[in-house]
Amino acid sequence: MLPAVAVYYFPWEVNSGALQDGESVRTFGSKTNFAHFSRLTQYEPEKSRASLTTQHASKEHHVVINTSFVEPFNPIIGAQYIVLGEIETAQGVDGVRVCARVLNCVDGVNIALLQKVINEQRSFFRERRPDLWSLLQRSRACL
Amino acid sequence: MDPAEELPSMLWGLDPIFSAFARLHVTDILHMRESCQVPDIYFYKSHPIHKVDVLGTVVYKREREDFFCYGVDDGTGVINCLCWKNDPMKEELDSDGGKPSDDLQHSFNLAVEVKKLKQAQQTHFRLEIGELLRVRGQVKTSRQQREMMASTYYKVNDPVMAVQIEWMSDVLQLYREFYDKPLHLQNISASESPITSLSKATQIIKDFLEQKAVSKFRPYDIQDILQPLFPSCPEVAPAGQEPVAGSSTCQQLHVLLKEALQLLQDEGVVYRKVKSQDEVYFVTAQDKDLLMAVKDIIREDSKREKYQEKGCHILHILSSVRQRHSMNVSKAVLELVLKSLECNSDIISTRDNYFTYFII
Repeated sequence: MLPAVAVYYFPWEVNSGALQDGESVRTFGSKTNFAHFSRLTQYEPEKSRASLTTQHASKEHHVVINTSFVEPFNPIIGAQYIVLGEIETAQGVDGVRVCARVLNCVDGVNIALLQKVINEQRSFFRERRPDLWSLLQRSRACL
Repeated sequence: MDPAEELPSMLWGLDPIFSAFARLHVTDILHMRESCQVPDIYFYKSHPIHKVDVLGTVVYKREREDFFCYGVDDGTGVINCLCWKNDPMKEELDSDGGKPSDDLQHSFNLAVEVKKLKQAQQTHFRLEIGELLRVRGQVKTSRQQREMMASTYYKVNDPVMAVQIEWMSDVLQLYREFYDKPLHLQNISASESPITSLSKATQIIKDFLEQKAVSKFRPYDIQDILQPLFPSCPEVAPAGQEPVAGSSTCQQLHVLLKEALQLLQDEGVVYRKVKSQDEVYFVTAQDKDLLMAVKDIIREDSKREKYQEKGCHILHILSSVRQRHSMNVSKAVLELVLKSLECNSDIISTRDNYFTYFII
């Protein structure tokens, strides 16, 4: 069985209301997959827990990652990572947690260019395919 | 798109996208409509597609004896890719025992180098989850699931995502410039010069006159048969009603019709017996009266001593026809009539431009 598609989300969209809201998280729960990127700031191997941080609009955004599926990996504190996985709610975590299927170090990536092309892709799908776009819009509406 | 509008398979080759590896989003590959004419051909909008090119992260992997199954995720969808192993890959690297001995380490050993090459090749075809895969191949549907049969596939090293970013923006551009633009084969003919559309119009009229054996007509009788040359032209306004002002295609139609009729007159295919307000065109080939008149002139004049030996000159016949039949008969019209009379052996040409009637 193929896993579901991992759509690009910006880190600041992950903890935004749409995905945090109890109902929608349950709805999408393990189904909503996503890929996103940010800097690794913290890694606790004993808890299989890492934290990715990014800055957007003068605010710092944290995303908690469950790394149990991708261990062992080489944690480089301060490097850019891209994570692909499922949203999960967990106790003791403020907001949602991402259970990583893929966690790749992409330090040196041109974040501005990546953001630009993701936005272009989104507007392309918004013009053509409102059905696929509606999924993305849930998170964007809360920005 | 409605299946009935599907491009006939004969014309698929005219679409350049058909013979290229289309760089479609995975979601589009999964949702393309299958052709009702040929299996394993798909339609993205109006474009026939059978080969695609995909770049994405491996999110699923299964290895079989002869092939790998990779699930490739490009951020819009996940597709299963069947990647056949080539022969060197099937040979397991079990001959690891052949490590170079110390004394050979610094010299060139072909066997070792070949093995290194094979190993390097293997790493390019054997991917792990999370690695980036570029795969080209045919789209297939097996067990109701759409998948790709890879003809080429390899691992892409993309440590800073430069390749992926470039790919994403390239694909969007390809969609805007090519894939999303409908294929208009008719456009090719429409964009031709007006001269060819004029010759096409004349041909249409000629064919029509011949098929229906028309002997005379008025311009508005044949206006409708030129309609197909103007796909966007609305129905011609009913008789007695002026065409709507500003409908430029209808004006174009009138202009084209006028030009075509002029051309046909120059060629002698049609002529106007009487130049009056009422535009009636006579078709030369069907005008029995004209035919008879010409025949009579030649028969009568050939008896005259002056023409007995050499026959009647064409210009003499022309002036006689103009006196007897109509002032508006041109030389081109007469030439056509003479030609048809000669074909029927009604008259004989004695030499260039001279005709006589054969009296038994």
